[in-house]
Amino acid sequence: MTVAASTPMLRRHALAATALRDRILSGGVPWTLVIFLLMATVPWLGSRYDTFLASQITIDALFAVSLNLLLGTTGLVSFGHVAYFGVGAYVCGILMKTYGVPFSLAFPASGLGAALFALVSGYFCVRLIKLYFAMLTLAFSQIIWAIAYKWNAVTGGDQGLPEIPYPHLDWMSSIPGCADLSIGARFYLLTLVLVAVSLAIVHHIIRSPFGRVLTTIRDNPERAAFLGINVRLYQLASFVIAGGFAGLAGALYGIFSRGVFADYVFWSKSAEILIMTILGGAGYFWGPPVGAAALVWLNQVITDYTQYWSFVLGAILLVLLFGFPGGIVGGLDMLWQRLKRLRNA
Amino acid sequence: MYRRYCLALAFAAAAMWPAASKAADIKIGFPIPLSGPTAVYGKPVLAGAQMAVAEINAKGGVLGRKLEILPRDSKANADEAVRLSRELIIKDGVDFLVGTLTSAEAPAVSTVAKENKIVFIAPTSKSTILTDAQHIHPYIFRVASNTDVEGLAGATLMARWKDVKTVATIAPDYAYGRDSMAAFIKALKKMRPDIQIVDQQWPKLGEPDFTSFITAQMGKKPDAIYSALFAGDFVTFTKEATPLGYFKAINNRFIDGAEIGTTDEAQALGKDYPYGVIGDSYDPVLWTGNEPPVHKTFIEDLKKFTHAQYASGWSIVGYQSIYALAAGITKAGSTNSDAVSKALTGLTWDTPVGPRTFSVKSHETFAPEYWGEMIKEPGIPFAVINNPELLPKSFPATN
Amino acid sequence: MSSSFLFSQFMGGLTTAMFLFLIASGLSLVFGVMRIINFAHGSFYMVGAYLAWQAVQWVHPTGGGFWLAVVIAAVGVGLLGALTERLFFRSLYGREELYQLLFTYALVLILGDAAKFVWGTDQLSVSAPPALAGSVQIFGTTQPLYTLFIIAIGPAIAFALWLLLNRTGAGRMLRAAQMDREMLDALGANVGTIYTLMFAVSAFLAGLSGALVTPIESIVPGMDVLIIVQAFIVVVIGGMGSLWGTFWGSVIYGQVLSFGILIFPGFSLFSVFALMAVILIVRPWGLFGRPL
Repeated sequence: MTVAASTPMLRRHALAATALRDRILSGGVPWTLVIFLLMATVPWLGSRYDTFLASQITIDALFAVSLNLLLGTTGLVSFGHVAYFGVGAYVCGILMKTYGVPFSLAFPASGLGAALFALVSGYFCVRLIKLYFAMLTLAFSQIIWAIAYKWNAVTGGDQGLPEIPYPHLDWMSSIPGCADLSIGARFYLLTLVLVAVSLAIVHHIIRSPFGRVLTTIRDNPERAAFLGINVRLYQLASFVIAGGFAGLAGALYGIFSRGVFADYVFWSKSAEILIMTILGGAGYFWGPPVGAAALVWLNQVITDYTQYWSFVLGAILLVLLFGFPGGIVGGLDMLWQRLKRLRNA
Repeated sequence: MYRRYCLALAFAAAAMWPAASKAADIKIGFPIPLSGPTAVYGKPVLAGAQMAVAEINAKGGVLGRKLEILPRDSKANADEAVRLSRELIIKDGVDFLVGTLTSAEAPAVSTVAKENKIVFIAPTSKSTILTDAQHIHPYIFRVASNTDVEGLAGATLMARWKDVKTVATIAPDYAYGRDSMAAFIKALKKMRPDIQIVDQQWPKLGEPDFTSFITAQMGKKPDAIYSALFAGDFVTFTKEATPLGYFKAINNRFIDGAEIGTTDEAQALGKDYPYGVIGDSYDPVLWTGNEPPVHKTFIEDLKKFTHAQYASGWSIVGYQSIYALAAGITKAGSTNSDAVSKALTGLTWDTPVGPRTFSVKSHETFAPEYWGEMIKEPGIPFAVINNPELLPKSFPATN
Repeated sequence: MSSSFLFSQFMGGLTTAMFLFLIASGLSLVFGVMRIINFAHGSFYMVGAYLAWQAVQWVHPTGGGFWLAVVIAAVGVGLLGALTERLFFRSLYGREELYQLLFTYALVLILGDAAKFVWGTDQLSVSAPPALAGSVQIFGTTQPLYTLFIIAIGPAIAFALWLLLNRTGAGRMLRAAQMDREMLDALGANVGTIYTLMFAVSAFLAGLSGALVTPIESIVPGMDVLIIVQAFIVVVIGGMGSLWGTFWGSVIYGQVLSFGILIFPGFSLFSVFALMAVILIVRPWGLFGRPL
């Protein structure tokens, strides 16, 4: 049985991504920091609704980046990534609401819980080739959904778990300028910091020797195995890390959306997060966050005009698949390359 | 990245522009199922509310300001209802929330109302958890009767069948179904300790295939059945149950407390309706006997407003909710939710089916319903309630 | 538990099973050849149901003309399937599986909203054909004629499909394509036409099952994403690409669900997903399939 075959499309984009990264780094502008600082001004400069949207974008960005660790970096197509998001959301929600555990413990616990479930399910998933891998991840996510939907006593069943408490953020009042911020805005700032740290860690993992082994496996698993790499073990490690970060995103989302509900874990959510990742560009680290921002923004623009958002999303997906398989960042990158060639010529 | 952010800001500013110019209207967010199996109840509730708004606005509005309803399709999902309510508050800046249909949505939206300190009136949700001691807060009000009221009425009717010794139940698997069955059994045990509950089935809300539940229940051979299936679920259920001989096996001794007696449900099923079962409705619509004139006018107006040959039995609760809110705002003299909440507590207001009062303790009304056997009436192409009887006669002891 | 009770529970499970077989057989057919999961298969099923409702309104608004409506729905959806393959799917062959998967998901999104646009969001329903509206007594149980008809039509469709695959030229080509696509190309067979035909047959089956289900289930938005998961489970249990595997997979699924309600009422939903996961772990190619 061969393990996940190579994905030439992703490899090509990954090469381009390295070039893009080098360019940005050589430019000397610390873009990551700039984006972070810009995002942090939203509660002061924007409306309450802007903060709401920015929170959603931030959390989705982490969720999509965690998926892309599998998709873009390791070359594994998971169709059930929402399971780990859901486990994280439920662990954090149940701990905070039912047991009164503080956020400082519930948050890491949700990441650990999701990683643990990823370890168990991933152990079986990475043994399977491509499509069966996708099917088994889907099966596991539907198992989580069935549990969430039916285990009334713990998960609230169809009712879900509304009213998850916000973390205690009174201490923020002592920070200059933060005294007047609402609890929602404060939670957004906390989310932003936690997501930024998480993204930095994922970025570091991808650029570490471990991450380079993952890309080797993505590009050519047979060769990797030939080099003496335990392919399944590395894939499992990637799966567990991705699951853990998805769990953290889920924990934040449960609090942000003021409740955890079984529908968060339904299979179609996995498809949505895949679309988000592809829309931004799976070959780039910053692709998924761009995809998250674009989808959240588009959604609220379009739903103002029409109730047929799914139709529009489907159309966007078609354009993407047939016209811009590299996603937004991939498209911009191509444009940049062309401009550069023009200038050089 | 920066441009995206600027775009978002620019868009938000643009989005706020029309909102600012319409500041004079009193905005009411109205999340309710407008699609799927429960839309058959959700749409008429909204229509009733819209008619109330049209009437009030025609008379100059409230405090000199017009009312405006912002309807949203909650799809009967708790998470969708929460998301929409938050968006209505944060993005559209609504002053109040009215709406939701199921007890999956209402308790979840209630938490949003509490957190944002905005008055929320639930027209239809029945589950006791919406307003029990643990969940009550100043901003939640309920126009519907709760499951204790419904269970008491259902048990009263069941207890009248002296030869019934074994009863089975079937209800959707969520707060309303669970609470409703528990209340029914509690009330029945008091009236008829000799009756045994032999089977309980819990299909999910929106179940597409009830066959296995039906055959499993029939296998226990109950004498009678109490149910809380409703809307599209009851349509699907009936179409699967009738050919299996489900209603025949119990001689139509089937009581349902989830408003299958409404004209809406009866019209949805048409000739497939299981004639002979007992159903209920807040408004019998086709009222034989001494119909109050105010009700007659209401039904005539409703028919005109909805361009329908037969009026809905559900619109009444949406209509009542808006009039309650308007009375509250008028009494408070402001749209501030704290003031309106104080005004609504203990408030009595008139409705086409008699006055209603929000209890001081639980913010609920005592809303008895019209119950009776569903029969064929000459000239009407769907089932109607035979001699509608208002039940229960008084609030259950627990309240 | 009396035997007549067990019998009616068994018949209930069998009805569910035969419906699922009708849907899953088309899904399995496409998987066998293309090696993709067609998420849009559930959408074809939904469009079939809506088309049947629409055709009943055209033909005979008071409920007659059911059989004509079924034919119109099945053929209409079959054409839709062929069209989809010609217009879009064709250019995705050879692309990564992820893109093919997401394409079928895009169809789910588009067809779901298109159905809402055309037929609204209310629940619709169709009455059973008068000839099959009654029921008969078997082993002391009441069995609706319509479900007996469904139980009969399942094996009939299975047999017809088997004939198509084994006794016709196109069918033999299809089976050859299942085994080795490149080889077929090299032999100069008109693979394009075969693929279009296969998609049409697959969509036809989805439309047929969607139309046949209308007398006992309601037509609602969202029925597409609910059914596709069940169809997956069936195909996974039986073995993707295996006709008889799908048949027996449906039977197993129906009975697990039906008796699951008796044995562990709260968790019959859980049990079918667990069964799917266990089979994928132990025998990824299903109980009756062959390893890829």
